[in-house]
Amino acid sequence: MTKKNSGHKSASLSRRTLLQAGAATLGAAAFPMPVIAQAKPFAGITLRGASFQHRFFTLLQNYIPEFEAQTGMKVDLQLSAFPVYNQQANLELSSGGSAFDFVNVTFILASRWVAAGLLANLDEFTGDSNLTPAEWKPKDFVEGAQVPYRDAKGATYGYSWEGGAMVMGLSRMDLMEKKGLKIPKTFAELQEVCAAINGTDNVTGLVSFQLHHWCLPPYIQGFGGNIFRNPPTDIMPALNSPQAIQAIEFYANLLKNYAPKGVLTYTEDQARQALLTGRSNIFIHSSAWITPILMSGDSKVKDTSRVVRMPAGPVRDFPAANSQGLGIPKNAKNKKAAWEFIKWALSPEISMRLVKEHGHSSVCRKSVIESEEYRKLNTVNGQDLGALYLEVLGLPAKGENYMAYRTVKEFPIVGDVLNKAFEQVATGQLTAPAAMNAAQEQAIANMRRAGTAL
Amino acid sequence: MSGKGLVDAERRRFNAIALAPSLIVLFAIAGLPAIYLVVTSLTPFQLVNPGSSTDFSSPLRNYRLLPGDPRFVNSLWVQAKLSFWGVLFQVLLGMLLALLLHTQSRVVEFARTFFLIPMVLPPIVVAIIWKLIYTPDISPLYYVAGLLNIAMPSLTSSVDFALTAIIIADTWEWMPFTFLMVLAALQTIPDEFSEAALVDGANRFQIFFYITLPFITPILVISGMFRLIDSVKAFPLVFLLTGGGPGSVTEVTNYYAYLLAFDFNEIGYSSAVTIVLLLLVVAVSFGVVWMGRRREALE
Repeated sequence: MTKKNSGHKSASLSRRTLLQAGAATLGAAAFPMPVIAQAKPFAGITLRGASFQHRFFTLLQNYIPEFEAQTGMKVDLQLSAFPVYNQQANLELSSGGSAFDFVNVTFILASRWVAAGLLANLDEFTGDSNLTPAEWKPKDFVEGAQVPYRDAKGATYGYSWEGGAMVMGLSRMDLMEKKGLKIPKTFAELQEVCAAINGTDNVTGLVSFQLHHWCLPPYIQGFGGNIFRNPPTDIMPALNSPQAIQAIEFYANLLKNYAPKGVLTYTEDQARQALLTGRSNIFIHSSAWITPILMSGDSKVKDTSRVVRMPAGPVRDFPAANSQGLGIPKNAKNKKAAWEFIKWALSPEISMRLVKEHGHSSVCRKSVIESEEYRKLNTVNGQDLGALYLEVLGLPAKGENYMAYRTVKEFPIVGDVLNKAFEQVATGQLTAPAAMNAAQEQAIANMRRAGTAL
Repeated sequence: MSGKGLVDAERRRFNAIALAPSLIVLFAIAGLPAIYLVVTSLTPFQLVNPGSSTDFSSPLRNYRLLPGDPRFVNSLWVQAKLSFWGVLFQVLLGMLLALLLHTQSRVVEFARTFFLIPMVLPPIVVAIIWKLIYTPDISPLYYVAGLLNIAMPSLTSSVDFALTAIIIADTWEWMPFTFLMVLAALQTIPDEFSEAALVDGANRFQIFFYITLPFITPILVISGMFRLIDSVKAFPLVFLLTGGGPGSVTEVTNYYAYLLAFDFNEIGYSSAVTIVLLLLVVAVSFGVVWMGRRREALE
């Protein structure tokens, strides 16, 4: 009986389904495209984008199917190694290609791309309420992180997805307290603390890594010098200024006397491990590499650590800061679709999900960083890491942009020369004045060879 | 034309037709990139400068700049030191090892296989192995030195040892090549020669210098030449162990060319550096071959 009823019901449903399907087909045949287009305005578009490999994109890829379902477009995101991506993007943008609809605007190349007009002006999108709703809030991005993506007139060519703020991590506050040492606030105090801790309990005073042109400039600026005379307008190298010589001497002495053996060839990972295991007391680097002493499961020094602003030089403190942005190539084929993706990827909602679901804290949305959820997740041992991150990241936008040296397109050439000079001083091959005088000459020669008029 | 001449002509035509596809493929995959490299070296091509790839207004500019570039000149000198000492050690140690292991025994056969391992490892793996050995806080070498109260400097960041550290790693990786070649040569020497010499009262050193060495000399020269050419490719070791430092102590020419192209975007200048390096390698190779032929002619 049940079977029979069931079979009858099934037959009747089939007829109904058939009738419904027929009606739907007729309806779709009469008014198909407008309805579909309204629901999924970018259906059929394959959006091509590129960046270097970074945790942000690895996490974002988890959410991209949601975006594809909402918009109907397919996202083809190519991720390559940092130098490979930069070369690829340089070639693509310089040759006026249209292979990518959106690209990572690499910090060190941003000013060159913006100045050369290789990117689309994003103000055209944010200024159109049909394309950008008010709640997206372009002003919500941390000011310091946005500086590299603006031209001289203030037009915006990128929005930042990641910020790097230089902070100081101290792993063995227990040792410092035993010796009556306070957190160093000046370069002189930094040296005193390093000297006092070095060798105690097999701990070295501080640790660093081989990218000296990232670690060293805050010391040069702290003593009152700079990499270029007045970047980005006057890019004559200033490597042999008395302040730069003093800084390189100071930093070389720190590494020679108080850092682990072989620190000159240390990678970031090696330095971080030295900090996380408490083998080195101080590490000054981007917050993403330092805050794990308080938050990572690998940290053996969670209870004895602090994360603070880096010490100040005789002038003041100049903690390095950088950011990476997303932009649209000038010749992109699907600009509106690309903007839709950027808008979504950098929306407050996605930023907050990255923070809450993955603990990814280096986002650039002020509203997120200042939110209660962010504060809760990033307050450890009473330390509000979010506030510190925001404070440091915002510094270059206050007064003169002291990070401008790093957005000058000639920086890679000069930075490499600086690296070599520092190694020569740290290994005793040359004195600081000799190394920096030679570096100055070499930097000028290299820049001229590369076609820069000085 | 005689019948024989016709056959020869036909054979030549057949050979040409048979070889043509391979030659075309070879030209496409080896010749065209090389030509492109030469063409690029005549321009100031920079990735961040649109249009520079077709600017031939001063074609020899890059080559004129090279002698005045202290890093380029230094890199050639570093390359020469690395190649000379590396090849010398590889040839001598490879020969020594082959002489020691040129006996019939199962243990020795196993040992021969064991000694070949470094050569078959991917270069980046070799570089990582030596990175671990040279890193003071995790290295077994430093641990043992510590137990023996020997204070060792950091080898890869020391001005005096950094290049030696790379030469040691390069020798470890490539010494098996010479070992294998010499071992094969040793196995072709008829036993009668050394047996006769022994009967005549020659000692082992005399047998080595008057019988074995003349037999294996051509192999040593060929191995040395191959290694000399290959030593220019010691890139992974330099990249991973020292990054060319400290300063420019270990910056070999191909690493400098890499920096120019990939870090500074100076593709044209980097191409010129590469061309000069290529010419030097070709010159050295011809030199060695010429020396070998001259020696054969004298004999």
